[in-house]
Amino acid sequence: MIMSSESLEKKLEKWRKLEEEAREIRRREANWDFIEKQPPRLKAALKYYIEFGDIRTAAKIAGLAIDEFRMLLLSAGIPTVV
Amino acid sequence: MSDFAIADTCFLIDWSLWKKRDIIFQIFKTIFVPEAILNEVKSEGVISWIAEALAQGKLSLFTETSEILEEARSLIERSRMTPGIRGVDLPEAICLVVGKRRGYMVLTENRGALMIVNLFEEFSNVKVWRALEVIAEAIRRGILQTPHIENIFMEYEVETKHRFPRVDLDNVIRKLREEAREVA
Repeated sequence: MIMSSESLEKKLEKWRKLEEEAREIRRREANWDFIEKQPPRLKAALKYYIEFGDIRTAAKIAGLAIDEFRMLLLSAGIPTVV
Repeated sequence: MSDFAIADTCFLIDWSLWKKRDIIFQIFKTIFVPEAILNEVKSEGVISWIAEALAQGKLSLFTETSEILEEARSLIERSRMTPGIRGVDLPEAICLVVGKRRGYMVLTENRGALMIVNLFEEFSNVKVWRALEVIAEAIRRGILQTPHIENIFMEYEVETKHRFPRVDLDNVIRKLREEAREVA
């Protein structure tokens, strides 16, 4: 069961703000030169992660295991924000 | 709080990057790792830490039952059908279901898992901690000692390239300082 629509909307708004804050941090701290030099698949995965913060899907785009993709994020200067 | 926890992939990966990672074993007697999560980890640094902790009995493999898998799959479907909620995948869903059924602390850095506990009433009693709350508990218990609380969180952020949301971090630091003043 999910909560009442008013309460749900308030909480979803809080989550939207948190996600926007996280996206801004990822964009700001990313090493864009590094990202642009990557092969197409890795570049697409890194950009996807910056926008959506979904590491599992991003790792699948990259063709890497999640922890391997996390190491790529470290190299690209992209933080996880949670 | 429970002496037992169950950890998801994102938590284990980020936490394993920190030099002080072993302090978590002073907080929990056993941290369970579902098989679905172990299967996701490939890199040497993470897997060697997990293997060593498994050998020492600090981490323990959790084998999912068919009932847990069934409820986890149902949760995945619901999370994906609910607008505005980030969908969860099987590893996080298993952790949430086990947290609900067994009362284990769920250790996660997955935003979808955090949203479900916040938004789905039947999961609202599940206790979920991120690294932020684990570090706070370690400070509270005196496992990590420092005159400058914020430095420990900063150290974690620098070593792991993990960022805590500012509002959450400020709230945790303020609460820890208030508790320290009350004790003094």
